[in-house]
Amino acid sequence: MRRVLSCIAAILCMSFGLVTLARDCAAQGLLANLPRNETLILENPEGTIKNAGWFNIWAINAGSQSNGLQQAALDTLWYIDPNSGLDGVWQNSLAVEKPAYNADFTEMTVKLRRGIYWSDGVEFTAADVVHTVTTQIKHKNMRWSAALSLNVEAVEAPDPYTVRFTLKKPNSRFHALFTVRWNAVWIMPKHVFEKVEDPLKFDFNKPVSLGAYVLHNYDPEGRWYIWRLRDDWQRTTLGAYGKPGPKYLAYVDPGPPDKRVIAQMNHELDVIHDVAPEGMFTLAKQSKSSVAWFKGFPYAHPDPTLPALIFNAQNELFKSRDVRWALALLIDIKAVSMASYRGAATISAIGVPPTGRHPEFYHAPMQDWLAGFELDTGKRTIKPYDATVGKQIADMLRPSMGDQIPSDAKAIAAAFGMGWWKADPQAAAELLEKAGFKKAGSSWQTPDGKPFTVRVVVEGETRPVMTRAGSMIVEQWRRFGIDAKVDVAQGTLVTRRAAGDFDTIMTWSVETWGGHQDLSYFLDSWHSQFVAQPGTPQPARNWQRWSHPDLDKIIEDIRKVGFDDPRGLELGREYVKIAVREMPTIPLMAYNVFTVMDTTYWTGYPTSADPYTDPVPNWANSRAMFVKLKPKS
Amino acid sequence: MRFYAKYFAQRLLQFLLVVFIGINLTYVITHATPIDPVEQSIAAVTSFGNTSPEAINMMRQSLRELYGLTGGPYEQYIAFWRRIAVADFGPSLSAFPTPVSTLIARALPWTIGLLATATLLTWLLGNLLGGLAGYYQDKASLKFLAVIAMGLHPVPYYIVAFVLLVMFGYLWPLLPIAGGYGMNIEQGLNPTFVLSVLKHSILPALSLMLVGLGGWFLGMRSLVSNIVSEDYVVYAELAGVDQRRILGSYVMRNALLPQVTGLALSLGAIFNGAIITEQVFGYPGVGSLLVSAVYAGDYGLVLGVATISIIGVSTAVLIIDLVYPLLDPRVRTA
Amino acid sequence: MLTTLRDLLRYNVEFRIGAILVGLVAGMSALSLFSPYSPIDTFVVAPDMPPSLAHPFGTTSRGQDVFWHLTFAIRNTLAFGIVVALLSRILSLVIGLVSGYKGGWIDRVLMSINDTFIVIPLFPILVLFYFVLRDRMSWTTLAVIMALLGWAYDARLIRSLALSLRTREFTHTAVFSGMSTRQILAREHLPFVMPIVFATTMNNMNWSIGLEVTLSVLGFTDINSPTIGGMIYWANQHTALVAGVWWWLAFPVVSIIGLFIGLFLLAVSMNEHIDPRSRLRRLGSGGGS
Repeated sequence: MRRVLSCIAAILCMSFGLVTLARDCAAQGLLANLPRNETLILENPEGTIKNAGWFNIWAINAGSQSNGLQQAALDTLWYIDPNSGLDGVWQNSLAVEKPAYNADFTEMTVKLRRGIYWSDGVEFTAADVVHTVTTQIKHKNMRWSAALSLNVEAVEAPDPYTVRFTLKKPNSRFHALFTVRWNAVWIMPKHVFEKVEDPLKFDFNKPVSLGAYVLHNYDPEGRWYIWRLRDDWQRTTLGAYGKPGPKYLAYVDPGPPDKRVIAQMNHELDVIHDVAPEGMFTLAKQSKSSVAWFKGFPYAHPDPTLPALIFNAQNELFKSRDVRWALALLIDIKAVSMASYRGAATISAIGVPPTGRHPEFYHAPMQDWLAGFELDTGKRTIKPYDATVGKQIADMLRPSMGDQIPSDAKAIAAAFGMGWWKADPQAAAELLEKAGFKKAGSSWQTPDGKPFTVRVVVEGETRPVMTRAGSMIVEQWRRFGIDAKVDVAQGTLVTRRAAGDFDTIMTWSVETWGGHQDLSYFLDSWHSQFVAQPGTPQPARNWQRWSHPDLDKIIEDIRKVGFDDPRGLELGREYVKIAVREMPTIPLMAYNVFTVMDTTYWTGYPTSADPYTDPVPNWANSRAMFVKLKPKS
Repeated sequence: MRFYAKYFAQRLLQFLLVVFIGINLTYVITHATPIDPVEQSIAAVTSFGNTSPEAINMMRQSLRELYGLTGGPYEQYIAFWRRIAVADFGPSLSAFPTPVSTLIARALPWTIGLLATATLLTWLLGNLLGGLAGYYQDKASLKFLAVIAMGLHPVPYYIVAFVLLVMFGYLWPLLPIAGGYGMNIEQGLNPTFVLSVLKHSILPALSLMLVGLGGWFLGMRSLVSNIVSEDYVVYAELAGVDQRRILGSYVMRNALLPQVTGLALSLGAIFNGAIITEQVFGYPGVGSLLVSAVYAGDYGLVLGVATISIIGVSTAVLIIDLVYPLLDPRVRTA
Repeated sequence: MLTTLRDLLRYNVEFRIGAILVGLVAGMSALSLFSPYSPIDTFVVAPDMPPSLAHPFGTTSRGQDVFWHLTFAIRNTLAFGIVVALLSRILSLVIGLVSGYKGGWIDRVLMSINDTFIVIPLFPILVLFYFVLRDRMSWTTLAVIMALLGWAYDARLIRSLALSLRTREFTHTAVFSGMSTRQILAREHLPFVMPIVFATTMNNMNWSIGLEVTLSVLGFTDINSPTIGGMIYWANQHTALVAGVWWWLAFPVVSIIGLFIGLFLLAVSMNEHIDPRSRLRRLGSGGGS
């Protein structure tokens, strides 16, 4: 008996010894055989990739996109930066100049850059572009097959460095397909894909790179990918800006938010894609080497995306704009900001995200109009806009956050946003009564006499901040006497959103370029021609299924003017005014991403002080970071 | 022997029936999911781009054809069973066109490795200690062990895993808390890889063992304490047989039979994958595969994993039921 | 009945501890009737305050008092466990007794169904049910579903007992005196089976609450009404651990551990009490071993 116990004790001791041994063996860093100070470790928000060895980005849903493949290994004609860009918002990448359209936008000609080579030594030419387009038109189910087949009548290469597209119908924004705003049509290597029988079944492993990095090693279980700088990096478009700093890039899946925070505190993760606001505050307090986009509150990088409370316009209850305005006036945006982002939110009252260059082109110039905007509640006329809400949030946070909150008016406007609608339950009640609703006791009833019930669909754990915002709005409506409830969709959100299976939903239907003022990126899809019948799926992005004849006119006018035409900006402002009057969605705030960067091994990250790109690592534009990062010596 | 042949045939029939019903049930529930894999794929393509609505509608139709989702529910059902008959689960819809069997084959070794090792070790240790505790009923050290086992056993597994994660990942970061092995290590039978795998499996295995130990311990202890008062044991003790020999040959061997049954059941349950373990510790395996498949509405993958699990558990139960009457002559099932 | 309880409390240490633990937890849930805050409101108190006199368990990042919120959470979780246990006991009793007593093809059919339920991978089925039902997935629905999935193991146990009871003398007497099957099962066999059923009830409660906690923590349940799993879920959402708000996690975890250990000890001691040999062994040594 004693012998048994001592046997067990011996085994335990041996295991402990084994652990210590194992620990020492790999103690030289979590990366075996790679110099840590030449490696940049970034988070891949796609998580663990199911089909890890698949690099054919042109097949839908087959493998990963942001494991470094689109950021470091691929390239296309142009990039638009969501911030200021390395040398301006517009970057000519594989093209040497902006696209040249003919007068009625039915032809586009592109001049290509010379001296760019694939990583296996073959030169990049127009034949690659032509092959990319024709392959996807020929094989139906590739990533850009539908978009290209709808637009392209013919494509040809009159010489090895020129491509001419002939379009099926006038499209002044055709070049947007090849302009990176997160991603675009990536150019595929003709010399590899022409040998492939069925490009949908080809895994492109090992990938041949057009970008500055090649695949070094990857995990068959899909947790990490390592890319290595090409020896001939000067023969890539990124090389024109200088030699990229990191020799190795490691894109990893670091796990749930708390594990990411721990990883960065142990200096094992250089760039976090996103964490919860609390994780951000912890890092700000405890990790001196961590930096974020803003030096103080709200830290986060505002993506050019606009989370909003979206109504289902095909739902009887929300057909009246009075009802929609009433619900909007019940929202106290300060409380929503506190509940969702703990105050670290950049609010926006209008349907344009307060990011990039938009505050300069939309928010600031329209402040006067907003201040003077009048609403008829049925009993009186009110001016619902309160231009000081951003400042109020800053004042609210200053006692507990101290000097992390800016005091300068311009800095506050940039960090927290300008104004929002004043919470006015009285006016909301009047608007509801105007629409025929009645108050019975402490709860509200629809004109039919049924209780006024509203469900707000939220995503759940996968998007916690938006879930919290939705929950706070539900609570505010509930306190007013509306039977409001949160409906967690989890993985079904995408399906339900497309199907219109919701009363209201916390998501976004507005996404823009960021650095450029053109709104067609999302606005074009809001035309009434694309609104689906109830019961059929709605294509992106008009999730609210709302249309208005005035808006249609604006959209059609935008289609007729060029991309950089200043008339486009005027039309954009007209859209803003209609959206305010009709309130088809209640815009809330920018999608703030808490991207945190560790300066222990690398310096030179983009920040609000030096906004040469956005640091959010899954955006393809983040490649600009690689040339500006320098090792910390 | 005639009896056994009849019994064998009956049990085999029952096994096939159970597997059939189980797979059908899973099929029905999987296809009742409101997550549409076509919408998921389209969202993956369009969420960051500005694809025109016409293009999206076009994609929807052609994807539906590609994924084999056209045709009514009846046709899809027949097609499904036709494929199963040749052990082909079809392509994964969320990682098209990779076959489901490839994805499962990649994840399964991790699950089997971790769970088989953990289960066997727990069984051995638990039964050994339980047997000792049942026989030497007055030893203080064993009573103390009993208290610990009883304290840990009922705690929900998630809590135990979570507490371990906090202790060793956050408070005293000694052990890795994510992944199956370290970064940039080549998979293969080289010492770096093997050591890395061992190191990464310590926490998940430990959490499984802590929770499982109590069950075997208590079961064995009560079995042994019942046997200890049997006549033949008392006689052997009075006759002066060596205590260790009594413990080994007389007591433990008789007590082990039900525990072997339990072991077979547990080994069968391995194929369920330890979903919580894999979620908490980021361990690659069949469980995480299942969760991501459910999120993506990937019918094929969910069915594949569920089928493997059903067959695994059913086979284990079948083997137990077949072997038990051979081992224990006291059992004669009608 | 009362003498049984008295004996158990006096002589059985495990029962005493179990009873105290369960009593504490049940007491907490009873306190929910006196809560000054509504459980679904948020931001009613200052967030992230550590435990103090005003807030004995601290406050959460959502501005709720942990102590009072916990009372509701425990109440809901306990209620859920009891409902599942009750429903599944009824199912396993009926199926186990009928199957064991009747034998023949009824037995085989019921046992095939039973095997199917043992074999089905539980977790993905629950997750799928949640996806399909979402809005209508209230606590009662989940309880019914879990009861439907949780009767299998115990039905087998009861069946083997019923098998042995069938061959006993008093059963033959009952048959000869003309009692119907229903009467025999209800009046003669049930009292024999009840003690086992009580013991399995505790285990079943542990199982169902454990599963509910796991589902809640992963976000697969109704996040509107508070349960212990829901509290852990929200705490993880707000990365409470890393942010240093340990009290939000510690107290729910401690209470669930206490509840489970308590229930388990009750089950173990009752099992021991039922078996006359082990009961005598304990009582014979003068109590309080």
